[in-house]
Amino acid sequence: MRAKIRGFLYRHRGLEGILYVLPFAALWGIFLAWPVGYGIYLSLFEWSPMQGSRFVGLENYIKLFGDARFLNALGNTFKFAAIAVPLILGLGLLFALMLWSWGRTRRGVGFIQAVLFFPYLLTVSTVAITWKWMFDPDFGLVTHAFKALKIAAPVFLTEPAWALPAIAFATAWWLAGYRMVVFQAGLGEIPQELFEVASIDGAVFHQKFLHIILPLLKPALLFSLVLTLISAFRTFGQALMMTEGGPGRSTEVLALYLYRTAFEYFNIGKAAASGVVLLVIMLVLTLIGVKLLGLKSELG
Amino acid sequence: MFGIALLWIIPSLWVAETAFKPNPDIFSIPPKWLPSRLTTAHLGKLFASWPFGRWLLNSLILATLVTASSLIVSTLAAFSFARLQWPGRDALFLVILVFMLLPMEVSVIPLYFMMNSFRLLNTIYGAALPMIALPIGVFLLRQFFLNIPRDLEDAARIDGCSSWGVLTRVIIPNSTPVFAAYGMYIFNYTWNEFFWSLICLRSAQKVTLPVGLRLIQGAFEINYGLITSAAFMASLPSLVVFLILRQRIIRGIALSSGIKG
Repeated sequence: MRAKIRGFLYRHRGLEGILYVLPFAALWGIFLAWPVGYGIYLSLFEWSPMQGSRFVGLENYIKLFGDARFLNALGNTFKFAAIAVPLILGLGLLFALMLWSWGRTRRGVGFIQAVLFFPYLLTVSTVAITWKWMFDPDFGLVTHAFKALKIAAPVFLTEPAWALPAIAFATAWWLAGYRMVVFQAGLGEIPQELFEVASIDGAVFHQKFLHIILPLLKPALLFSLVLTLISAFRTFGQALMMTEGGPGRSTEVLALYLYRTAFEYFNIGKAAASGVVLLVIMLVLTLIGVKLLGLKSELG
Repeated sequence: MFGIALLWIIPSLWVAETAFKPNPDIFSIPPKWLPSRLTTAHLGKLFASWPFGRWLLNSLILATLVTASSLIVSTLAAFSFARLQWPGRDALFLVILVFMLLPMEVSVIPLYFMMNSFRLLNTIYGAALPMIALPIGVFLLRQFFLNIPRDLEDAARIDGCSSWGVLTRVIIPNSTPVFAAYGMYIFNYTWNEFFWSLICLRSAQKVTLPVGLRLIQGAFEINYGLITSAAFMASLPSLVVFLILRQRIIRGIALSSGIKG
């Protein structure tokens, strides 16, 4: 029997390759690819539990872009990304550079790296709880710190202008350490000789940074930029748990809008349409990424 | 450097401290840096009023189930993409890659309906299934398999190995670093997954830790002692694993970030 199977597979080698892919392809097709297509399909229907669904074409999209609440969520998402992404990448790069120039052999490097990295392993709920408590307007540590410095502390999470930046800061605390590790790996790949030659030529630190580190770190930086942007556009848990989208709707981001439209108001068509808008944003970002990075070369 | 590290760790330390502070100390102005006495009252209340142990178990089951199945199906597929010839191979790989960065947000609504009709809503399987076949897994493993010298495979083939033999005797034994890196990645991803779990898991007995924390927070808005003790307990497993595997985890990220390897 075994010999028979082997013989059959040998004669149909193409089939064998497909057999190996099958479990993955089936799971991927059913639970990842198909729902995306079905989501786009749903966005063209008006869904109601009583009358069933009715094809409405692009009406959901037209409604969506006339909906102040959706436009507000879209704006908040862009605003959040504009604050959070530079913070995450900037802090990550800063930490990586500091640890790198501070010396890899010094005692305590491993400890500092561990401390800066650790928040990444926390769940988004823990991060949100931590910073909600830090920012508490009466008893939070941040509030106490502002008082100690004799500066009037803004009521971060309940003031519309401050709530989104506060969430972005919490997100940076959460994710910067991960970027630091990625950048450290990139820095480690740069040949030491380059710096020695530069030193002999009399280069100072900012020259080395501009002419050696930045160009050689560019792939890692761009890769991180695209991935961090995408994760910023998908932000959900922090906004839900730190402010519930408030005060007012000043921190209601796109994913939170989608969640509420679908699972609190059961406006399925509209929620699916907002999902497609998010999808289009991702697609554009991904394509820019592919273009910038030449990801095509990865396909060999 | 130590100053920054201190600044970075303060929030976590403060949460841990709040978890064991008696209530008057939590709500005192000026703040009490060191609690007047340590209390386990919040912890006791946590375990008395919420099925916290159950959540821990759910999280563990979910993450283990997803990690194991994902490693298996991704290894098989990556092997086929890297080493076997069949029509349509590169086209399918390209399509999977394009989906790599697409957001789950657009698919949660269809997934919700699907899981509902499969009767998998509010079960651990419903939560697990969409997380198993991640394109990133196949991508990482394939990259690694491509770099294993072809000569090894040829030698094995000459010695009479079938494709299965090549996979189990040549590829898998030489790929421990990438299995470790991807395994840790997906375990952490599943352990912390929030969006889909929140939608799929509805009853307090079924939810995982991240969603459980949300339930507590939704129930008592200002009970900081209780909520910080829950956050502290939920982070403890990650902390312990991190302390043991620190070097491996950090090296794994360097490997899976696409910069090295």
